[in-house]
Amino acid sequence: MKGRTILLGLAAMVLAAGFTFASGSSESQKSVSIQFAISPREVGKVIPDFINGFEQTNPGIKVDWLQVPGVPNEQHTMYVTDLASQSDKPDVIAVDVIWPGEFIANGWAAPLNDYFTTADVSKYLPGMMNSVSVDGKIYGIPLYTNAIHLFYRKDLLDKYGLAVPKTWEELQSEAKTIVAKEGNPDLVGYISMWAQIEGLFMNYLQFMWGAGGQFFDSGGKVTVNTPAARKALTTMVNMIKDKTAPQSITTYKPNDAMALFRQGRAVFMVVQDFVWPMLNASDSPVAGKVGMTRVPYFAGNSSANTVCMGGWILIVNPYSKNKAAAAKFIKYITTEQAGLKMAVDTGSMPALNGMQNNQTLLEQYPIAKQLYADFAVGDVRPSARAGAKYPELSHEMQLEIHSALVGEKSPEKALADAQANIAKLLGQ
Amino acid sequence: MSRTRLSEPAYGILLVLPMFVIVVGILFLPTAYTIGLSLSNFSFIKGAARSFVGLANYFAMFADEEFRSSLINSVFFTGVTVVLELLFGLVLAVILNRKFVMPGLLRATVLFPWALPTALNAIIWRWLFNPDFGLFNSILVTLGFSATKINWLGEIPLSMFSMMTVAIWKTSSFMALILLTGLQTIPADLYEAAEIDGAGFWYRLRRITLPLLTPSILLALLFRSMDAFRAFELPFALTQGGPAGSTQTLSLFGYRQFFQFLKFDTGSAVSVIQFILIMALGALYLRVFRTEAD
Repeated sequence: MKGRTILLGLAAMVLAAGFTFASGSSESQKSVSIQFAISPREVGKVIPDFINGFEQTNPGIKVDWLQVPGVPNEQHTMYVTDLASQSDKPDVIAVDVIWPGEFIANGWAAPLNDYFTTADVSKYLPGMMNSVSVDGKIYGIPLYTNAIHLFYRKDLLDKYGLAVPKTWEELQSEAKTIVAKEGNPDLVGYISMWAQIEGLFMNYLQFMWGAGGQFFDSGGKVTVNTPAARKALTTMVNMIKDKTAPQSITTYKPNDAMALFRQGRAVFMVVQDFVWPMLNASDSPVAGKVGMTRVPYFAGNSSANTVCMGGWILIVNPYSKNKAAAAKFIKYITTEQAGLKMAVDTGSMPALNGMQNNQTLLEQYPIAKQLYADFAVGDVRPSARAGAKYPELSHEMQLEIHSALVGEKSPEKALADAQANIAKLLGQ
Repeated sequence: MSRTRLSEPAYGILLVLPMFVIVVGILFLPTAYTIGLSLSNFSFIKGAARSFVGLANYFAMFADEEFRSSLINSVFFTGVTVVLELLFGLVLAVILNRKFVMPGLLRATVLFPWALPTALNAIIWRWLFNPDFGLFNSILVTLGFSATKINWLGEIPLSMFSMMTVAIWKTSSFMALILLTGLQTIPADLYEAAEIDGAGFWYRLRRITLPLLTPSILLALLFRSMDAFRAFELPFALTQGGPAGSTQTLSLFGYRQFFQFLKFDTGSAVSVIQFILIMALGALYLRVFRTEAD
């Protein structure tokens, strides 16, 4: 009895396999098939529509969605395994904004200059394009983006007749004024995510950019120990020393900062845009009292990019047999029309210029006006240049910045050590 | 009549073969592979080529300041927590060994911290330690014991002691459980006889309880030391190794080498170093154990 069942099962499997094989081979004569790897987590809702729409306008190309796990680290391991073994699938891969550097350095991302003209590329946010541009070539196209912004208490600024701060100098003096006048021992001037995490490095970069600094010079040499960097780190250390920011900031992650700010216990906060709906939810004590603007710069550096961006990038597998079809698909799902649909359906903002004037988007997300104003002065972490060593570089920076914040090292010593260790890490 | 054509040794080998294959497959092969990796320069970020580099990874690790401080952190963490857990565990075990009204309920309550997963524990304690709205600072500041908010997880070396507190809170009950089984094997008439002879509490503790409890104590120490030396989830979920790496254990350091930096060569070297140190620790305990047993 058991034996018969197993035999029947086996026969069915062989038949099924035969059919699959047959249909697969007849298909491949007519059309090409590309595989698109992206997690359903953030924009999964629009992927089937994207694929249907694309297949209808491009009858010769079939797209197959490879649904990967939502945890970025797991995805990273999968792709690295695939690409290191030169697998020709998946053809199109969605990667975190800090991965392209590593993939490009290892030859795991195909250059896309043959498929995207300069005019095509100019449609995407320039800050995001920095994450995929190495030596004049581009290796990816951004799908959606998010960033770190300055959140502030509109009501408190109004109460004391203060303007929204544009510079760190203004922010520090306004924070001191408000905290002193409010006289509430539970109110802090500034809160952010300065725990020893990736977000700390993002925060530091914004201070450093805002002081006119860059992580790498134009020749690709690491420049961590510069006057701008010292100004950035010294300012962060002083904000803790003069109590603009509480001691606890060195243990805070984004959600901790959000919780404090949401309780109405902080005047200014710098974290990612995902907190906006939570701050304005109907049960939030600060609902309607919060404003959002670009991260400040130091006086005299108004043209500096100060908004550190994140997001996801589409790359083409260099071993893919259908690179042209893959590039065509990328182009199709990153148009303004597709981006608008993605924003409306999932809340993820397309990495395109000019969306702040898109009425359909603004009707649903009035905040998009500010988001895109900030994206325009945005940049990404220096992962494209650091390549595969980026995670180590970031960890080293987190350690040294944190050493200065908790008073283990002076800012000068921390940056000198970081400069030496990172130069050694990158073989410079 | 010979129903089996197998000789007795062959039959025996056949019986242990499945277990042997499993042990070799899941224990020896991965260990050997890790040792092999630690002697190579294999890393995902350097591409797939690998070659033999001898002990270079080990030298590189001992030359690395972060590795050395992680090693010291692990040794310090293990030394302090295990000793204090033993003391608290002993006290708990003695209390639990008395006949209380509801011994079952009491024992379950004591075991509660041990039953909570470490990662969950760490998240709960992160909130308790939170300087701005955590329980500890509320109590201290409200009752006037402290004028300022204490930054439990944000100061060096306080953060390490905060982390140790969580470990001790969680695993003292495990110590107590092992010691309790030891206590219950000590015959009650020994105590009665001693009492008749006029021995006081401390005398009985020193001369009866502790000597007869030694095997249990050594066992508990062995388990806990090995476990504490491998501590990973606690710093990972509580501090991420911060502030400034001051609570980074060897396991967390090794994790970064493997899974964040994709350096399988140095990551394996860290694992092997950890493996050797834990083996040495185990051997030391077993040696003491044997001497005590003799």
